[in-house]
Amino acid sequence: MPFEREGDLLVAHFAVQERDILTELVEQEVALLSDLGGDADAGLTDAGIGGSTSLPRDPALARLLPDAYRDDPSAASEYRRLTEASMVSRKIAAAEALAASLSDGDVRLSNEDASVWLRALNDLRLVIASRVGIENNDDEGNGDEVMMSVYRWLGFVQGTLLDALES
Amino acid sequence: MTRAESDVELDELLSLDVPWVTIVWDDPVNLQQYVTHVFMTYFGFARPEAERLMLLVHNEGRAVVATGPREEMERHVEAMHDVGLWATVAKAFE
Repeated sequence: MPFEREGDLLVAHFAVQERDILTELVEQEVALLSDLGGDADAGLTDAGIGGSTSLPRDPALARLLPDAYRDDPSAASEYRRLTEASMVSRKIAAAEALAASLSDGDVRLSNEDASVWLRALNDLRLVIASRVGIENNDDEGNGDEVMMSVYRWLGFVQGTLLDALES
Repeated sequence: MTRAESDVELDELLSLDVPWVTIVWDDPVNLQQYVTHVFMTYFGFARPEAERLMLLVHNEGRAVVATGPREEMERHVEAMHDVGLWATVAKAFE
């Protein structure tokens, strides 16, 4: 299953269960991100602005969309208002592109596709990590072994894609 | 030009000169290989420099990866958040 380089392409095969897991995770992440954009003004959102002004309460969203300023709440808020809506759109687009390229399980990526996959896999890992309580370096998770194995598998897939890209 | 006006202009010039930095923070999720990859592909660092910065993030908890005007640092932070790295903008020397 791991990614391998085949000429200019990075190729991998995903079994149906693996496709189902990836598709399900993408759907959950897209739903999570879409909820956040629900209150935004449509006109402003189209213009790429109109995000909220505070850190999302959901810890997974807070990790996907962190504050850009650590000790300056008003700068963090202003930055978020200007950037959040378009960042949410890009994250949704990357996640959906990953799901769309799964098709029959034979995935063939250009270098450009691979960079989208790397981002999308990483976002899925960030969401799961916050769900199972991996937030600091010593955290070992909350004992949800199913989600932990999915988390480790996503890291494995991401690692093989990086190896293939660099080979 | 009065003395007061020249002071104001001097202040403005100085404030323009204050550099800002992009800081990348350690987190338990991002693979070291991925962080190195991002530093190489986005910032254009050669592998040794990308790995040095990645290890600085990992060992020290954070690393300054860019210095410059505030707007440019905000663009870097936006790019880091796009790829899932945890980054912030700050004034240098604070």
